[in-house]
Order: sequence, then C-alpha cells, then structure tokens
Amino acid sequence: MSARLAVRGITMRFGGVVALEDVSFEAEAGRVLGIMGPNGAGKTTLFNVISGVQKPTQGTVALGDRTLTGRGVAAIAGCGVTRTFQTPMMFWGLDVRESIACALAAREFGGIFPPDPLRSLVPSGFGWPRRRAADAALRERADALLATMGIAELAGRPTESLSFGEERFLELARALAIEPLMLLLDEPLSGLNPDEIEIVLQTIVRARDAGVGVLLVEHAVGELLSVADRVVVLDHGRKIAEGAARDVAADPVVIDAYIGDELG
Amino acid sequence: MIASLWQYALAGLVSGAIYALVAAGFVLIYQVTGIINFAQGEYVMIGAMTAASLASAGMPPLEAGVIAIAAAALAGALSYVFAIRPARARGAAGVTLIFITLGLDVALRGLGLIVWGTNPLSLNAFSSGSSIAIFGGVIQPQALWVLGADIIVFVLLYVFFQRTYAGTAVRAAVASPAIASTFGIPLRTFAFWSFVAAAAIGGLGGVVIAPITSATYDMGLTFGLAGFVAAVLGGLESLPGALVGGFVLGIAEKISGGLISTGWEQGIGFLILVLVLLLRPQGLLGRAVRQA
Repeated sequence: MSARLAVRGITMRFGGVVALEDVSFEAEAGRVLGIMGPNGAGKTTLFNVISGVQKPTQGTVALGDRTLTGRGVAAIAGCGVTRTFQTPMMFWGLDVRESIACALAAREFGGIFPPDPLRSLVPSGFGWPRRRAADAALRERADALLATMGIAELAGRPTESLSFGEERFLELARALAIEPLMLLLDEPLSGLNPDEIEIVLQTIVRARDAGVGVLLVEHAVGELLSVADRVVVLDHGRKIAEGAARDVAADPVVIDAYIGDELG
Repeated sequence: MIASLWQYALAGLVSGAIYALVAAGFVLIYQVTGIINFAQGEYVMIGAMTAASLASAGMPPLEAGVIAIAAAALAGALSYVFAIRPARARGAAGVTLIFITLGLDVALRGLGLIVWGTNPLSLNAFSSGSSIAIFGGVIQPQALWVLGADIIVFVLLYVFFQRTYAGTAVRAAVASPAIASTFGIPLRTFAFWSFVAAAAIGGLGGVVIAPITSATYDMGLTFGLAGFVAAVLGGLESLPGALVGGFVLGIAEKISGGLISTGWEQGIGFLILVLVLLLRPQGLLGRAVRQA
C-alpha cells in the first residue's frame, strides 16, 4: 500500500501566538521527509497536530483518503501513524521484551483494546497450543526487532535500568513494532553518541526501505540531510522552503533563518 | 497471653482479607484513572445486602452470591458512566473527582437505605460445620471462604496483569498513557473496566463477609475507610501492597482491640494511616515517586 500523508493548510494558534500558519506539504511512503527549522519554528507542534495530540485551529491532515484531523491519538495510531517524543518515555514496570510485545500485540489487534477478548484475555503458558504458538511468534518478532537494533541482549532487562541511548533504541524499536505507515520521529538523535547516532540512522534507512514513510525532526542538520530525501523548512510557524535535501541546504532563505536564529 | 494474641490475629486475618479486597479496588481504579474512589466500600454493602436479601427470599446462596457480585459490578459501571465520565468530559480532574466519589458514596449508601431499610440482614454461612482449630486458635468455617475469595481475586489479578496481552497493555498505559496511545492503546477505555472490576471485587468481599458480620446499609463506610487505609499502607499503586496492607491493618485492629479495648479497633487504623503518611508516604510496597 502506498500511503501518502497530506498536510493541508494547518494553522495552530494558542491565544494570540501563531505556532503554525497555513503549513501544507505531503509525505510519501518509503521516503524520509526531513523537517528543519530553528527553535520555536513549530516542528513539535506540527507533530502534535499530525499525531492528534493537539487539534489544529484550521486545516486538515489526511492519510490516503482517510482524514486524521479530529481523531484521537489512539485512533490515528490505529490508522498507521505513530510518533516518538523528544524525551524517550518508557513503560516502567515492563521489561524490554514486554514493551515491544505490547506494541506488537496492539498492532495485531488493530489498535483496539480490549481487543478480541478470547485472545487477549487467555493467559499465556496455560497450554492452549494455538495461544502458545502465537505467544512464541510474538516473542520471536520482539527479539528479532531488538536484534536488528543491536540490543537483543536487553530483552529481559527492566525498562527502568536502561541508559539514555538504550531508551532511544527501545523507543524506536517499539514504534516500528506497530508497523506504522508513517513514523514521526521527534529529535531521535539528541543526546546520543556518534556510534548510537549511526545505529539510529541505519534503522531509519531500513524502515524507509521497508516502505515506512518517515517524518524526521532533527536539530543535527548534517545527519538529517544525510538521510532525508526531501526537506521542509519551517520558520516562525511558516513553511519557508521545501525541496530536495541538497537544494534546500543551499537555499539562502534557509541559511538566513538559521543564522538569524543563532544570532538572535 | 500468646494464645489470645494468636486468636486476635486469626480474627484480624478475616477482616484483613476483606480490607485487602476493598484496597485492591482502590488500587485498580487509582492506577488506571488517578481517582481515589471513596465509594469503594459501598460496593461491599451492595454485594452483602443483595446476597442477604436474595438468600432470605429463598434463593440458593451460590446464585444469590453471583447475582450480588453482578449487582455490585453494575453499580460500579453506573458510578463511572453517570458520575465520573460526565465530570471528566467537562474537564474535572484531581480533587474535584475525589469529591464526586465522596458524593457517590453518600448517594449509594442512601440508595441502600431506601432499598433495604435500616434493619441488618443476615446470611447463612456457606458451609456448615463447627469452628476450625488452628494451633489453639479457632476460626469459623466461613473464614475459609473469605480467605479463598482473596486467593482467587489476587491470583486472577496477577494472571491478568502479568500473563495476558490486555493486562500488559493496561500496565503499559498506566506507565505512560501518552506513549501507549501512540500504539493505539487508549487508557480511557480501561477506566470503565477498572470501575467494574473494582466494584465486583468489593461485591465479592461483601458476599463472603456477610455471614460473619451480617449486612447493614451503612457497612460500606467502615469497609471503605479501612480499605483506603490498607491501600495507602500498601502504597496505593501496588496490588501486592493492597494485600499486605489489608492483612496488616486487620490484624493490628483486632490485636489492639483485644489488648486495649474494642473501641480502639478503628482508631488504630487511622493511627497507622497517620504514621504511614509521616514515616513512609510511599507505603510498605510502593515505590518512592521519581523526580523527573
């Protein structure tokens, strides 16, 4: 399925403050769309609007022919659009494998809880052969996902015990576990060392190659341009540039916005 | 002296078992919704009164018990649908919701008064037989039903939360609602079921305790407060804590009641509450709140 995320005329006002003004663009499956902009440009607000955390003052977001605006976060996730947050948030009390399995199960049940009561309420390990096989398959997929991120050895660890980088990895693996059509990543590289950054970038590229549409907000411009196919640049809530990564990087308007930010 | 202490402890085990069930209801609802539901004790009353009145009308105790638990669960469902959900939809949170549950408590007790009147109802013990001696102390056969109810409830809760997808999803949603919703897991859907489950558990407590205490329309107040103390004692966020808290409170009450005076039974509960809040506010098994 080739999904296309269409953002049309999004305006977001908080009282007198305009966080986003008439922002439109499209994101395609199997492509990485970088979203750049200085601090306060409205990048996170844009993610909040797309993922349903905030309702826009005006404008719509659609995935294919389904309108997402007006739906809740869980319903939008059920449509295949999910996100991460600037600060990774863990499911404390669950171990790493459980965190992934929970996302996998959510996907399997179409994102509706309580899902199929029989399957979700039958305890594992109680001897039903089919249930046991389904559990084993789920564990296997969870472990495989962890392995692709190089964190297979974390599987049994409580999420409270993870380092910041490991939290980032788990967050990404967890988001990929629900097999999203569109994945919104909010600064997935911040706070990581160069080796960890490389792993996250590889994971983004692999997801893209698997057909996931990735929207990437990132302050590290060099890394963002290295994986982004196209880039949208926001400044003070308005789209000031859009195009192929290389062209945008050379655009004087963009350079101006960034330098202006650094000087201001 | 030791012998009477042991006897008090056995008696405390029985009331502690009910406190543990009520406390489990507090914990379930608090974890999922962040609300402290002070109407929790009334589900015990509804369970006990329904079972006692049906049984006195000639229904076999098992059927009466099942219907009583269903009645309590229905009361929990209605509590959520008519009191909590509309208030939340209008933006009520925190203390407002807790006050609403206090009102709910009064309303349910009033309903009990209207339906069943002020006379205590009695319920026959589920199994006949004489008292059972344990190391020189005695308990009534009904006490085994009470303890059995505890075992069943806590085992079921454990299996649900640790061994089912739905339970794992609830734990995930409780740990981080914002993230769980990005997986399509809506915490709000669980709120309704937490009220139903908590009320059914309370109702079961009422059914099994009614043959020991008899059933009155105002019994919910005592059990609700004791269950609250037990929940806080256990940490308010911990089901094992609710179990431990219930038994600690029940045994402490009976021992102090026996050694000092029965007038002290309930007072000791609040003394424990004050001490816990002063010395170990996260409860016996609760985790200290993390600083972000």
